[in-house]
Amino acid sequence: MNILRGFATTFKHLLEEPITVQYPEQMRPFRERYKGRHHLRRYENGLEKCIGCALCAAACPADAIWVEAAENTDEQRFSPGERYAKTYEINMLRCIFCGYCEDACPTQAIQLGHEHQLSFTDRQDAIFTKDMLIDPTAIGVAGTPQQVEPGVYTRSIPDMENPR
Amino acid sequence: MVTAMTKLVKVIIDDREYDFPAGMNLVDAAKQVDVTIPVFCYHPKMKPVGMCRMCLVEVGNIQKDRATGEVLLDDSGNPQIRWMPKLQTACTMNVSDGLVLRSTSKAVDEARRNVVEFLLTSHPLDCPICDKGGECPLQNQTMEYGPGESRMNFEDKKHLDKHVPLGDLIFLDEERCIQCGRCVRFQAEVAGDDVLAFHERGRDLQIITVSDPGFDTYFSGNTTDICPVGALTTTDFRFGARPWEMNSVPTLCNHCPVGCNTSASTRLDRDFGGKTMIKRIMARQNEQVNEIWMCDKGRFGHHFTRSEDRLLQPMVRAAGGSLSRETWADAVAAAAKLLGDANGSVAVIAGPSATNEDLFTLKQLAAGVGSTRLGAWPPTHAGADLVAKVGVGKGTNLSNLGKGDAVLVIATDLEEEAPIWRLRVKTAHDRGAYVVVANARKTRMDDFADAVTMYQTGHAATAFADLRKQHPEVAERLINANNLVVFAGAEGLTLDGSRALMQACANFLIETNHVGRANNGLVGVFPGANAMGQHYLGFSPEATRDIIANPPKVLILAQADVVADDPAAAAWLSKVETVISLSLFDDEATRQAKVVLPVQSFAERDGSYTNGERRVQRFYTAQGPIGEAIPAWQAVARIAEKLGQGKARLSAAQVMNDIVAAIPAFAGCKYSDLAKVEAQFPQVGGDDLYYGGTSYKNTGGLGVQIASAADNGEAVALGDVKADAVKGDLIVVPTVRLYNRERVFQASEAQLMAARVAAPYVEINAEDAARLAIHDGDMVQVSAGAAQPVKVRAHVNGAAPKGTVLLPRNLQQTATALTIAAGTVTKV
Repeated sequence: MNILRGFATTFKHLLEEPITVQYPEQMRPFRERYKGRHHLRRYENGLEKCIGCALCAAACPADAIWVEAAENTDEQRFSPGERYAKTYEINMLRCIFCGYCEDACPTQAIQLGHEHQLSFTDRQDAIFTKDMLIDPTAIGVAGTPQQVEPGVYTRSIPDMENPR
Repeated sequence: MVTAMTKLVKVIIDDREYDFPAGMNLVDAAKQVDVTIPVFCYHPKMKPVGMCRMCLVEVGNIQKDRATGEVLLDDSGNPQIRWMPKLQTACTMNVSDGLVLRSTSKAVDEARRNVVEFLLTSHPLDCPICDKGGECPLQNQTMEYGPGESRMNFEDKKHLDKHVPLGDLIFLDEERCIQCGRCVRFQAEVAGDDVLAFHERGRDLQIITVSDPGFDTYFSGNTTDICPVGALTTTDFRFGARPWEMNSVPTLCNHCPVGCNTSASTRLDRDFGGKTMIKRIMARQNEQVNEIWMCDKGRFGHHFTRSEDRLLQPMVRAAGGSLSRETWADAVAAAAKLLGDANGSVAVIAGPSATNEDLFTLKQLAAGVGSTRLGAWPPTHAGADLVAKVGVGKGTNLSNLGKGDAVLVIATDLEEEAPIWRLRVKTAHDRGAYVVVANARKTRMDDFADAVTMYQTGHAATAFADLRKQHPEVAERLINANNLVVFAGAEGLTLDGSRALMQACANFLIETNHVGRANNGLVGVFPGANAMGQHYLGFSPEATRDIIANPPKVLILAQADVVADDPAAAAWLSKVETVISLSLFDDEATRQAKVVLPVQSFAERDGSYTNGERRVQRFYTAQGPIGEAIPAWQAVARIAEKLGQGKARLSAAQVMNDIVAAIPAFAGCKYSDLAKVEAQFPQVGGDDLYYGGTSYKNTGGLGVQIASAADNGEAVALGDVKADAVKGDLIVVPTVRLYNRERVFQASEAQLMAARVAAPYVEINAEDAARLAIHDGDMVQVSAGAAQPVKVRAHVNGAAPKGTVLLPRNLQQTATALTIAAGTVTKV
């Protein structure tokens, strides 16, 4: 009797549709909060959100982020406020995709995206530079550096919220 | 300092009883027993003002019976305490007998919370981009005592200018300023350059500079250290790195004889080839040397270490006459062969940045090839041997000079030659020390002097010898002073004149019994960081003079930029058959050398300097290497090894061990001894919330002061003063400007300090100018002695005495007179 019950289970599974996904030809949708490779975001006007504060690097438990900052001018403006990231690098071999950088960022400049297919042929390739990380500008929007009107972008964090 | 004489008082802090010396500041007293009273405006180096209200505490007094003086007890048998009705600012109170302090209570906590909240009402949320963020007392104290959340609407915040240059070196962010006034008070009280002020009132109050050019002082960088917020930041470090990302490496300033202890904040840098780079230099606390201060030259003058002109590879001159790059082994072999073939006709001239280790190995190398001709560069200041005899006593601390003590500053412009000594003599003057300035011209030091005596240019020694006749009341004060320190330079003197002055000073000190004790004796205001080291290791300016007069076959130039300093150098250098140059830079001497060996600057290596007060101090490797440069001692040791003089040492520490063994003065100066530290007052630079970002705690060592001969009880004899003066209608006196165009300060015009360096000029007396038909601002041609005439702008503004023209050195590429000489000035 027991043996029949066992076979019943076997046959039931034989008739079920397989759950195997033919990756990489076939891809499942990502969860909204999946933590893949990083993106540096821009404002709608093309300015970079990153202000080079290096709090992401400070928060990083794997010491994967390297930031060097420099000063903005109105003639050569990369981001609002006085400071921007001159160098921004993430070593993807070190990164553990914990997302602490995203939490630490005061301007929501760094966000973990959905891209997860990262493979490298040498260690140097695993270091993603600012050019690789930063989002392209929307069509018709100027990139950085921009020449802007003096006195407009004086704050690093443009939209402050009042205490609730 | 607590001694047996100090009166102690009993104070109760947070229910525990302590003894403190009477008169101690309450905040300092509490800190000493690890009770934190937070402060913003109070700083132990300045007078308290009680402006920020952060240090509010509950204070009371133990009640005593007026008649009997007995402590009154309450019903339960405890002493009765009469609490003051309101909270008191601890920083404006001193400890007194029976004082009771409560540093934490509901009222105190609330007061602190309110003070922080009020300070933050208009403080911008800039922490992510603020250079102070991470070492900011406001940040720390907000976390510790603040309300946690804000009740302020952002629209109501006061918006002020965020990017105000207060001069070329310092930026002011008006929004961040909390109006503690530390910077204004530092400039007025400590530095004596009253160039900052408050402007407007209430919430419009801002810091402004009242000088032209802005923030015109040599001490401006210190205000960024003591600023408790990020309102004042330096142009140099602007956005250089976050404070927590950097390592702090103990190092020394190599620009002047003060030997300020400094701390290099370093970080890897993409633009510096991924190597460790000095991002900023800050003062490191050494209360005996520089307290917690340093001048702007030391703070911002580190860029030369990464100059484009730095030599990268050893070079040897080929038969054809051009320099070709070689390996170290080949270059060392070439140098060794030249030295070996010289038959002992070898001499060394070492510059002022050469360390003790470099000098010792050079001395050994010279001895190995049969030479004792060791010259010190520049050959302008004699008398280091007299400083070794009657120099300031062991344990000297200029901060201990005060009422009843005296300081004599003679033949030097301390402001330009050794700014921190100028600052410390100024503060000694404020404490009541009697300061006498003697010079042939007006100097900045006159502003802080009780008496100014002028003498005729070049006659410092005779003027000093006649002091008792000419100015008996001044002489009287000096003779009767409890402690007397003499700062003697060589401005307006020949080398012999300098020796005469030093001898006159030494004689005076010996006669008046101001030698062999702490806070008494002679300090030579020599050029460079290691003039005393040069003396102890056998290098002398007299030897340099002899080398110039009798050129050797082979001359080793060790970090001596002779052609840039001395207009006659090109001529005497050409009489030397072979020059071996150990240099940082591709300089003129390099172009005449047969072998060029690139050496490392103080930033890239270990080493030690002996400062003007004979304190041996060590510095540590801060910056990544440049090219193939190695420390000078190592290059020399390799040549010596090639010549069969024994194996080269492996580290600077080993060389110092050799020095300790060979030279008695350096006894007790092993690197481990130099690295010893002890607790210092005030306690700044720790990880606590008090003075964040203010100076660095000294972890690298306080150094060891070499005892003078007088300290050791050796008899010090009087010597003959042989005055030497130059005669002529117009005497050209070379002067020193702190900011100049020396290679070891500023290698290019594009650099930060460029705007502060004066254009080449000469100071002429109005009478002489009228006689020569020269007006202020005219271009003139100055020729002095054998030097090539130089074209400079004439300043006729009362700085030069009659018959004297003052020609600052190193303001231009061509060398100007190194020592005083008769000359002419003509209008062009």
